[in-house]
Amino acid sequence: MLASTMQPNLDQLSGLDDVRNAALARWQANGWPDAKAESWRFTRLGAVVARELAPAIGMSETAHAPGAEITAIATEMKAHVIRFYNGMLDVRSLDGLPDGMTATHSLNTDFEAITAEVAGLAPVDHPVGNLSLAAMSAGLRLSVDAGVHIEQPVLLAFEGTGETISAHPVVMVDVGISGAAVIAEWHQSQLGLSAPLVALRLGDKARLDYAKVQAEGANNVHLAATGISLGEGSVFAGFSISAGGQLARLETHVTLTGESAECGLSAIYLGRDKQHHDITTYMDHAVGHCHSSQIIRGVLDDASRGVFQGKVHVAPDAQKTDGQQMSRALLLSRKAEADAKPELEIYADDVICAHGATVGELDETQLFYLTSRGIPKATARAMLIGAFLDDAIDSVENAALAGMLRHISDGWMADVKGVSL
Amino acid sequence: MTALLEIRDLHASVGDTPILKGINLTINTGEIHAIMGPNGSGKSTMSYVLSGRDGYEVTGGDVLMNGVSMLEMEPDERARAGMFLAFQYPVELPGVGGMSFLRAAVNARRIEAGEDEVDQLEFVKMVRAKAKILGINDDMLKRAVNVGFSGGEKKRYEILQMALLEPTMAVLDETDSGLDVDALKIVSEGVNLLRDPARSMLVITHYQRLLDYIVPDYVHILAGGKIRKSGDKSLALEVEEQGYAGIDDAA
Repeated sequence: MLASTMQPNLDQLSGLDDVRNAALARWQANGWPDAKAESWRFTRLGAVVARELAPAIGMSETAHAPGAEITAIATEMKAHVIRFYNGMLDVRSLDGLPDGMTATHSLNTDFEAITAEVAGLAPVDHPVGNLSLAAMSAGLRLSVDAGVHIEQPVLLAFEGTGETISAHPVVMVDVGISGAAVIAEWHQSQLGLSAPLVALRLGDKARLDYAKVQAEGANNVHLAATGISLGEGSVFAGFSISAGGQLARLETHVTLTGESAECGLSAIYLGRDKQHHDITTYMDHAVGHCHSSQIIRGVLDDASRGVFQGKVHVAPDAQKTDGQQMSRALLLSRKAEADAKPELEIYADDVICAHGATVGELDETQLFYLTSRGIPKATARAMLIGAFLDDAIDSVENAALAGMLRHISDGWMADVKGVSL
Repeated sequence: MTALLEIRDLHASVGDTPILKGINLTINTGEIHAIMGPNGSGKSTMSYVLSGRDGYEVTGGDVLMNGVSMLEMEPDERARAGMFLAFQYPVELPGVGGMSFLRAAVNARRIEAGEDEVDQLEFVKMVRAKAKILGINDDMLKRAVNVGFSGGEKKRYEILQMALLEPTMAVLDETDSGLDVDALKIVSEGVNLLRDPARSMLVITHYQRLLDYIVPDYVHILAGGKIRKSGDKSLALEVEEQGYAGIDDAA
């Protein structure tokens, strides 16, 4: 495809540093994955490729008030909110960060060293990695000081409006040795394309409790790329929920670089109408004695579609690896479809790895048991769907993040056809 | 005596297979009837047909409760009208908390009756009191419904639900299966406490043993999808001695 006709239109980009120029060159050479790309077999991007889009570069962040839902949830979580609008950072929202956390951003600093860091952590040669690094609408780096435990959640709120706008925020979080933080992403926009690029690095013995909410508007395409690197003895407890948008892919690559690291990378997707949700993970056990756990749950109504692709890679020397992955999808409608492609690629011999994937409907016997007690069928369905999702959300240790995720799943459940709580 | 449950020439099939082939049975208010029969005689089918389970198709006849046909009613409507089925194999509901399940069931009935929903604190007290009689401890009440329960615990939990829902027509489907003598005594005592002039029961069992503890007013022998013989509790003893073979032949 000719560079000039590729979407988003990047003609206005100029004065890029070397890192971003290289990303732009890769983007122009590779573009969006074509029909033969195996890792995009279940998620076709025809809908986004056909859109007229341009990054909101050069627009300043504006004085839009944050959405009511975000404000309410942030208040409940007692979170500090950092705001992005159309992919642009509202620098005022960096005032008053919790003690021990510092922010650097691309609007006032030379960001090349940071984009280089992000490029090193991001999924390699990934279309969103290339595109959003090149088209970066705003770059933010948060660092958590070594040894500091920050309990106040920091909520990164991504909003915006404009169906011809693509947003390319780039966020890097660096948790220092033995540091700890609680961070969440909340995506709720009316943009044509949201393409956040996120890089998370945990130093030795660091801990990061992390949650992501994808609650985009009905016409949004959300393509996220996240790269995570875990140092020795560090703990990453991550959970995503994909509920909004027309098409969404949340792709996360984790590299366990230090022994005895623990990684939780769980997700829920909730589909209705003709939505398409894709959860793709790559868990690289590069060294031994690490533990990774992935619980994936999907509920699909109407003619929606859900995809889970997860690969666990265990390097030859990564002995004593424990890698667990379980995907379960629940279909509420005959027209819904779920695809799962779990993969294990193991080159070490002393490991415990297990994976599994199931797709099913609500259990008729369980429904009968509930209704035989006088519980109306709609309520019985809601109880069983709720139990299915709670089973996953119960694994979220941080109460503020669990509450945020439940807010989304409860809200979604309330709109399931034929369900009343 | 007024008829609480009237089963009239009931025919039912599972798939294309006819299982019930003309059942006639009238249960008056306050009576306890037992249905005994060999495996495959249609006992469990009868319990599912009465409670309205999908896949059990009524092909003829009628079932009336308090003079009203139940056949067009969904299982939840029948339950709110006073029908209760104690399952032979109670169903595990992972992730569904026991207390919220019990409260949802009790509230469903209260809402139907135009009453207020139960007060949460009072409800917990009431459940604990009834659970204690059945030897159900707090730990069991806190768990997900039937998850991790032993066979005996599951049966006791069925009777707890019956005690909370106060049905007018209770069907007990092989409540004795899988129970040792001690568990059988506890369950039976729980059932006997629920004997009430305003409540009828249909006790389905393969063995006479249960009827030593829950003494019925009438005993019916079901075989080949029909009631072959009816009598008082002595009929159960007769079957215990002679087996079902003679009854099949009599048909």
